[in-house]
Amino acid sequence: MTINKTKNGNELLLSLEGRLDTLTAPELEKEFGASLAGVTSLVLDFEKLEYISSAGLRVLLSAQKVMNAQGQMKVCHVNETVMEIFEVTGFSDILTIE
Amino acid sequence: MKEKLRSLFYKLRVRLTADEMFHETEVQANRLGALILLCSGIILVLILALTAMGVFLLPLSSVFSPTIQAIVEIIILLIVCHAVKCDAWWLKHLLMIGLVFVYARLDCMLTHKAAILMVLPVVFSSRYFSRRLTVFTSILSTVVFFFSAAWGATHGLINLNIVTFPAGTVMIATGGFLGEAIQNAGASDKMLVTNTLIFDYLPKWLMFSITSIISCNIARRGREMVVTQHDKDVKSARIESELNLATRIQADMLPNIYPAFPDRKEFDIYATMDPAKEVGGDFYDFFLIDPDHLCMVMADVSGKGVPAALFMMASKIILANNAMMGKSPAQILSDTNAAICSNNREEMFVTVWLGILEISTGKLTAANAGHEYPVIKRSDGGFELFKDKHGFVIGGMSGVRYKEYELTLTPGSKIFVYTDGVPEATDSAGSMFGTDAMLAALNKDPAAEPERILKNVRGAVDEFVKQAEQFDDLTMLCMEYKALSDTEQ
Repeated sequence: MTINKTKNGNELLLSLEGRLDTLTAPELEKEFGASLAGVTSLVLDFEKLEYISSAGLRVLLSAQKVMNAQGQMKVCHVNETVMEIFEVTGFSDILTIE
Repeated sequence: MKEKLRSLFYKLRVRLTADEMFHETEVQANRLGALILLCSGIILVLILALTAMGVFLLPLSSVFSPTIQAIVEIIILLIVCHAVKCDAWWLKHLLMIGLVFVYARLDCMLTHKAAILMVLPVVFSSRYFSRRLTVFTSILSTVVFFFSAAWGATHGLINLNIVTFPAGTVMIATGGFLGEAIQNAGASDKMLVTNTLIFDYLPKWLMFSITSIISCNIARRGREMVVTQHDKDVKSARIESELNLATRIQADMLPNIYPAFPDRKEFDIYATMDPAKEVGGDFYDFFLIDPDHLCMVMADVSGKGVPAALFMMASKIILANNAMMGKSPAQILSDTNAAICSNNREEMFVTVWLGILEISTGKLTAANAGHEYPVIKRSDGGFELFKDKHGFVIGGMSGVRYKEYELTLTPGSKIFVYTDGVPEATDSAGSMFGTDAMLAALNKDPAAEPERILKNVRGAVDEFVKQAEQFDDLTMLCMEYKALSDTEQ
């Protein structure tokens, strides 16, 4: 998985590419740990994300909780496979998906 | 079978103490020593042959006797090595002495042409990971090569660069090599020996001493590495055996004796769990809340391995305790969520499908916390995905309310629940098994008993993934609601 990062003031855009699973989720967790401080608007671009596993969902949940406290978080360009996983797991109810 | 072999391998490796490992290393090094001797013997024979053919500038008479001696020595040493099968505590010393003397003989003949000979025994001695042996070899080489240099000064190849003569000495070329002219001019033996020791042996020895220091260091480091590796092996073997035990404890926590309810003819249930790692985060559960209510659980913890397994154990117990209190499925999930969220700093979560069957009526009440859709087979149809209402995963957020739904199972109906390891089983090309293929496997023989049904799905998954390593846990449960026989009615 590759993470492309664009930071503009308090806005952070992360574009994920590939698979977000047990092997790659720690990478994203580390990225969140390093760069969420002071961010008020987090946008996750999932256009090139092929798959997300429960380990990936766990990292998203942590990020959502951090962002609930300090601003807002949006997930955009979600493909069909990932959307289905969000719906099945109930994540579609707690994430802001555009 | 592979697992068994692996655990046996760990046991065997740990049974070796550090001393036994060094012994093994020593025997291997002795074998290497024998090989070096054999190669040296072949080189000696070559030198003899080349000298006889006149390629080397040495009189055959002075080469013949030391070479033959060295070859005889090598043969004797090889016979000794063979006799004790390279396994004797004194062999390493004998090999070092033998090698030093063999090379010293070569050194006598070739003198300055083969300066590297002196360092070979010391370099080889570091292979024993014993600093004492390397120091012993260094001292032995220093002494023996001193004498071989002195002897070689007058008997071996003359180093023309170090020959000195009194002023006015006349040399007469007789045709042929310069060395002969020097000997004819009356070079004194004393001058040759002194000059060789100062100009040849001394610089060679200085370089040799550096090689000795390096070899001593390699020997010491090598020893430390063997000891460290041994400690690591012991630790990893302990972790391995603990994981094996954890695997068994986890498997024992799930109901796994079939038939599970031999005296209940109204239903038949079968479930399996195959973790991808030693321990997994998936689990199933089923138990009777009271004689008329059967509770079934299928769940999947986020992540894998030991963290998932620990969380799984806690989730399973909390769910079962809540269910045994006679609550409704939605209430069980809500209360379990509240209990888990109160202490969940690592933000682990678990997806759960939980259903309670009223055995007398066939009424199934179920709730779903972010888990895969169940698959239902009506008595007269095939298996179909049942798109039930989904709540959020358990442990993700406190205060989540779950909705439950009801279905009525008629005799002959079946329900199949599973974890995402089944539809998301991946082959080596990276494509997924998929829900459609899973339904096809279920409908291969929909009338079969639950155990057969699970075997069909497992078979189809195995056939699909082929050689690819199992990446996710595979867990399935199938329950058949049967008609009561006439006599029982």
